[in-house]
Amino acid sequence: MRYRRRPSPLHAARAGAGCAYCLALGLATLLFSNPVVLGSVALAVMGAALGAGVGREVGRAALLSLPLVAAIIVINALVVRDGLTVIVRLGNLPVLGQTDVTLEATVYGAILGLRALTLITCGALYTAAIDPDEVLRLFRRVSFRSALTATLATRMVPVLLRDSHRLADAQRCRPGRPPSRLTLIRAASGGVLDRALDVAAALEVRGFACARRPARGRRPFSRHDLHFVSAAIVLAAIAIGARVAGQAPFEAYPALHSPADAGVLGIAAAVIVVALLPFADRRGIAR
Amino acid sequence: MTRGAAIAAVAIALAVATAGCGLGAGPGTGGVHVTVTSDFGGHQIAAADAASVPGSETVMRMLERRFDVKTRYGGGFVESINGQTGSSSQRDWFYYVNGVQAPDGAAVTSVHHDDHIWWDLHDWRATDSIPAVVGSFPEPFTNGIGGKRYPTTIECGSNVNAACKRVTAVLSGDGVPVAGQLIGTGSGPDTLGVVVGTWKQLAPEVAAELIAHGPGASGVYANFSGPAGTTLRLLDPDGHVAQTLGAGAGLVAATADSSSVPTWLVTGTDVAGVDAAARAFNADALHDHFALAVQGGTTYPVPLDGGQ
Repeated sequence: MRYRRRPSPLHAARAGAGCAYCLALGLATLLFSNPVVLGSVALAVMGAALGAGVGREVGRAALLSLPLVAAIIVINALVVRDGLTVIVRLGNLPVLGQTDVTLEATVYGAILGLRALTLITCGALYTAAIDPDEVLRLFRRVSFRSALTATLATRMVPVLLRDSHRLADAQRCRPGRPPSRLTLIRAASGGVLDRALDVAAALEVRGFACARRPARGRRPFSRHDLHFVSAAIVLAAIAIGARVAGQAPFEAYPALHSPADAGVLGIAAAVIVVALLPFADRRGIAR
Repeated sequence: MTRGAAIAAVAIALAVATAGCGLGAGPGTGGVHVTVTSDFGGHQIAAADAASVPGSETVMRMLERRFDVKTRYGGGFVESINGQTGSSSQRDWFYYVNGVQAPDGAAVTSVHHDDHIWWDLHDWRATDSIPAVVGSFPEPFTNGIGGKRYPTTIECGSNVNAACKRVTAVLSGDGVPVAGQLIGTGSGPDTLGVVVGTWKQLAPEVAAELIAHGPGASGVYANFSGPAGTTLRLLDPDGHVAQTLGAGAGLVAATADSSSVPTWLVTGTDVAGVDAAARAFNADALHDHFALAVQGGTTYPVPLDGGQ
């Protein structure tokens, strides 16, 4: 998965606005534990991915994270002793001892898994919809040496990707079974230090080593910038406000307490509406 | 399905069934009593009786079902009950099932029929291990430990026949069959022992030796001075001597080493002290005390709290 410019409001917005938007979604993911609201954040992220035209990429990231989600649920259910409602008795297990799986630990594991899934999809949305070069340019004003290091690191990913494609093409020319993905990854990552030197040399030739703090750019805010920054501020305000005011509460232990009253449903609806509203304006999205 | 796979499936099913696995909580139990105190039973915080208890109930679940409990370390340790928490780093919640300190955490200790569960918030500067307490009497004699009932023997010294008869009668009255044997015979690791006699007579007993070594070894905040045991020293929660009783002082206490079920001692500085201790050997007098000293008509729950 990598960034490719697409005709969408999120791609049209400046990187700072896109970053703030993704950070606000991540903040909401971390602050909400109520499954209804957390589910609405997950829906909002997927809706944003579809609105940005990167639904397939983000969906693939979500699918790839499912084993992690399953592992979180299973580990939490087996390890956590809290919870009053026993649903499965596993007897005396090695290392774990007497193990009873409770409904509460399983549900809380599912909440943690949903949170991990939402954070991963937030990251995927950021990767697919926010221009990394523009993000690095943003940080050059703060610390251009860090930006240079980050550039070097981020440049390595597409370089290794291209290397592995070339290796796969070369392997296909040889008789016998084609190599597995693991073999390719091992071959590509085996020479990562050499390739890092190549990339660093290329960057030096291009004058990155002589970089100075760049002058502040005076690019006017677009409507999309304003929309996404506003959405980020409102999302963060909803998340922090609800947390401080104790709205959308959720308690897993010792017994499940997860109200789904009008207030919770209102917050869930507000999250979805605020997150998706910037995508309604499709004017000026083609570059 | 091949024959091998079928045999494997049957073997797994049998292993699962015999290992206590299954869906749901399993069959329940009842008659369980929970009491919550602080300062070695000095202050009662709450109590609850449960006529019906769900299956797979643990001591922790039982507690959380009835009180406002905060836990830590993945639900394994109690931090507070009904808002009561340790005010210092060496004050924590401990629990006893049928008067015996459980070897495992509350989250894995199963609740059995008619169990008496006692949670106490106390200072553990002197010792963090109190193997047995007397405050749940007639437990562990009536319902045993961990769902298993143990035989009870009584060993009596000379010249304490009246005290011995009184203790035997109390146990028999609670439906506990008691086998008498000579003092010093030893009850064995799987037998609940009650030893009745003056401290001088009991001194060679393992349980008495533990008590003589102080709370760190026995969990009993009282000891007798010298092998003759002419005075009974009552300790405070720090393990310091807070009061000394002379002639006519008695003690009812329980202790155990790491490999045995508890031994109870009904003892005193002299025969009068043993008689006084035997008179205190009943549920009303021992209720919610870790150990009990007596002199004449006065009782002294130990450890002594402050200037009591």
